[in-house]
Amino acid sequence: MRNLKRILILLIVGLTVGAASFTRATLSAAVVKVPDPTKVVMIVDRDSNDIAFMDIASKKIVGRTFLGNNVNPHMVMMSPDGRYVVTGGTRANKAYIIDAKTLELVKVIPVDIAPEHLAFSPDSRWYYQGNPEGDSISVIDMLSLTKIKSIPGLVEPLNTVFLPDGSKAYVGNYGAHWVGVIDVRRHELLKKIQVADVPGVAKLDPDKYLGEIKGINIPQITNDGRYLYATDTDLGVVAKIDPREDKVDKIIRVGKEPWRPYMSHDGKYLITPNNGDQTISIVDLRTDKVAATLEAGENMTGVNFAAGKAFVISSTSGFVYVYDMNSLRPAGRMKIGTNIQLETATTDTKDEKLYLADSTENAVVVIDAKTQQFEKIMNVGLYPWGTHIMDSKDNYCH
Amino acid sequence: MVRCRLAAVIAMLLLTASFAAAQNSTVSGRVANAQGGVIANAEATLRALPPPGTPPMPNMPNMPNMPAAMERTATAGADGAFTFANVAAGDYVLYVDASGFERSSQTVTVGNQAQNLTITLTPLIVPGAEEGAAAAAGVADTQLLLDRIKQLEARITDLESEAVLSEPETRVKRIEVYVDQNNNIHDQPVEGAKQQVTYQRERVYRRQTINEKIEEALAAAEDQAVKIGVDATTVAQGAGRTTGVGPNKKAYALASADLFFAAKLAQYTSFFADVVALSGAAPDREIPSLTLLNGYTARLINQNELNLREAWLRTEFFGQRLGITAGRLDLTNYFDRNAFANDETTQFISDALVNNQMLGLAVNGTGVVADYDPKNAFNFKVGFQQSNPDATSLSDSIYSLAEVGYTATPFSLPEGHYRLWYRNNNGSVDSKHAVGVSLDQKLSPFVGVFGRYGQQQIPGDWDRYWSTGLSFAKAMVFNPLDTWGIGYAQMDLAAGDKEHLTEGYYNFQLTERLRLSFMLQHVLDRQNDKFGYLLPGLRLQAAF
Repeated sequence: MRNLKRILILLIVGLTVGAASFTRATLSAAVVKVPDPTKVVMIVDRDSNDIAFMDIASKKIVGRTFLGNNVNPHMVMMSPDGRYVVTGGTRANKAYIIDAKTLELVKVIPVDIAPEHLAFSPDSRWYYQGNPEGDSISVIDMLSLTKIKSIPGLVEPLNTVFLPDGSKAYVGNYGAHWVGVIDVRRHELLKKIQVADVPGVAKLDPDKYLGEIKGINIPQITNDGRYLYATDTDLGVVAKIDPREDKVDKIIRVGKEPWRPYMSHDGKYLITPNNGDQTISIVDLRTDKVAATLEAGENMTGVNFAAGKAFVISSTSGFVYVYDMNSLRPAGRMKIGTNIQLETATTDTKDEKLYLADSTENAVVVIDAKTQQFEKIMNVGLYPWGTHIMDSKDNYCH
Repeated sequence: MVRCRLAAVIAMLLLTASFAAAQNSTVSGRVANAQGGVIANAEATLRALPPPGTPPMPNMPNMPNMPAAMERTATAGADGAFTFANVAAGDYVLYVDASGFERSSQTVTVGNQAQNLTITLTPLIVPGAEEGAAAAAGVADTQLLLDRIKQLEARITDLESEAVLSEPETRVKRIEVYVDQNNNIHDQPVEGAKQQVTYQRERVYRRQTINEKIEEALAAAEDQAVKIGVDATTVAQGAGRTTGVGPNKKAYALASADLFFAAKLAQYTSFFADVVALSGAAPDREIPSLTLLNGYTARLINQNELNLREAWLRTEFFGQRLGITAGRLDLTNYFDRNAFANDETTQFISDALVNNQMLGLAVNGTGVVADYDPKNAFNFKVGFQQSNPDATSLSDSIYSLAEVGYTATPFSLPEGHYRLWYRNNNGSVDSKHAVGVSLDQKLSPFVGVFGRYGQQQIPGDWDRYWSTGLSFAKAMVFNPLDTWGIGYAQMDLAAGDKEHLTEGYYNFQLTERLRLSFMLQHVLDRQNDKFGYLLPGLRLQAAF
């Protein structure tokens, strides 16, 4: 009996020591700077070569990840599972992977030339980094954190969108008039979908169509994942693409030189900012017809939706144009500043506030969508080029 | 008995342990650098992967959040070794972090067998970082240098194959500073210092190609330069009499050339001038219609003579909501700007379908226009202009206009613009007052309807005018940028004269700078004599 007691005591002591050592190992994790990745705005600073993390509640910069000299990051995005923050360094030709909690740079992966815009597969497994000057997409496996493949054959791939089931990805080729379909299982170009015919007048005006192509920026997916809509800037159209058959279902003519489509959060409308005639076209997605064409500003770089309104960023004029999405009428214009350059914005998940990158003032402008008042958060980094909030419906770049 | 009990307990513990071993396993490893040197204190994390079939899009909008994945961490000892015991069978991601090194990440499938892995970490080189991170991690200097050389070689290869012009970018930036009595500058407020605005050069590094640099230089030069534009149009028309007496089977041609100058003078202040010359014969010299059959005729003062039509300054205030334009101008250009019937160069050629005939005023003169546009549904305009160039004072020849505009989307239709205007002319004219409305409403993305109504007061009565029509674009056209329209206008003067005018046009956009239009007009006048004419026409316009 005494021996039995000794054995039990030894077992208990052993288990306690083991448990204590396991607990010590668990608690030894690196310093967590962002416990909840949904509570920060990520700001990509092109000239200070870093990603700044701003706490949404306090509007303070809580962390900053320096990527290296001469990197010039372009677009920042968090993986859908909230584990990683990634960006493409346009000047360094590399992809940068940051731990979303510790904000430590954990991996630098060489990609192709001038990486800009990027996308994640819905399961967070694949990170597609577009390389417009390399005419390719670099495929990065987020489990092994390695580049597993480069998808060639694209023409200035500007943006990529995955289907909700992750089976296919669609690439906007700004240097052509077709959308590339990628088989995500094999990471190969599966199909090219031409969005519209080049008009016959091209024969009389070859300079317009042969000098420089402004093709497709992004195929934007509907909320239900059933269709994609892609603008062609040169052709002035929006093409509705059926991803089941990968064919163009309908062509909608909009204003001159549409930049790209932006989906309203309720899925009823899409807006194209038309820089050729300084208007916006509002397309009703139930009828696939232009519901309104309204006056806007010059050099439009983005559209955000909040509080039942659309906010259209006019980059070089320093204005944000506002439209009522119920009446489809203009609802005012906000002057953000004089002699400034505005970039792109993200919207919070409550659809209440916008976070707009104001590059020449090194600031982020926080816009209250309801009151249309704004506040500038200065010194967020040099030349902030874009912002990102996890799960925001308005995460985009230009 | 005691020995029996002891044997039973030991047997039970062994059974339990063997059962657990059948379900779980051990994942262990050793962390080293590329040369095999041990890396101590590395942190290893083992994360369970979701089982196959788990819905994608965790944390994405409209999708249920997935439960947090199971994660365990362990710290490697001084020998670089780490162990995870009791790991259930399944798929995992094992990643290892060490300060100064890139993260190693790999998938691990755990079965019944224990796994022992070798983890090799690569130094993380961040050019410009304050400290050599790998050095901080205690890596030997020689090894650090070798790694660094390897990284630099890779970087040189990158640069050789992908180099673009990449010079430092300099930019002048407006900054706010605080200047004290000694002219010392402070970034923050200091007692006795005044806030001032100054300008300072900022140097940044950005990837720029030579094309981008050239484009920027051209844009900057263009911004400073005087911009010149040309609008040259030739209109050929034929006239066949359909009823009444008068000239018949005649041909007419009128050539017009406008030269525009525009320059930016200051912030939100610009200058514009338009010099025009016309020559040729328009049908309006022979056909005595109440309205001009060729809208260009209004510009014709003397043949082959240059005329300064407009020369004005424009500046904007109050967040660019209020614009003031002053100088020599045509006030009617700023009012009743109907989207479908307002431009004789690309739309209808008949003046009755370009302008509301009750607006009056045919001569340009000195004037001012103020337009207030808050960019909501409403906008307001008011202006005045000298109406008679021969008048000796402005007070005897003031022509003034006011307009309220409204943008609407009625009955779920696309946008429409609605305007109400009032005109007053204190010069020596028959009509002092006039009022009118104008609308252009899209019925669909391709079809728009327009309408105008106006009436002017003359002694004892009113002259009346109205017009309407349809405009088509983007559909039912030969080329995507072509437009066409049909319209009808009617003049009904108190004196008894009446005119019915109908026109259809089709405008081919051949290139961005070249357009060709075909027009067909019919005018029927009932004045002292009744007459009617059918006028086919052609218009070639170059604008650049």
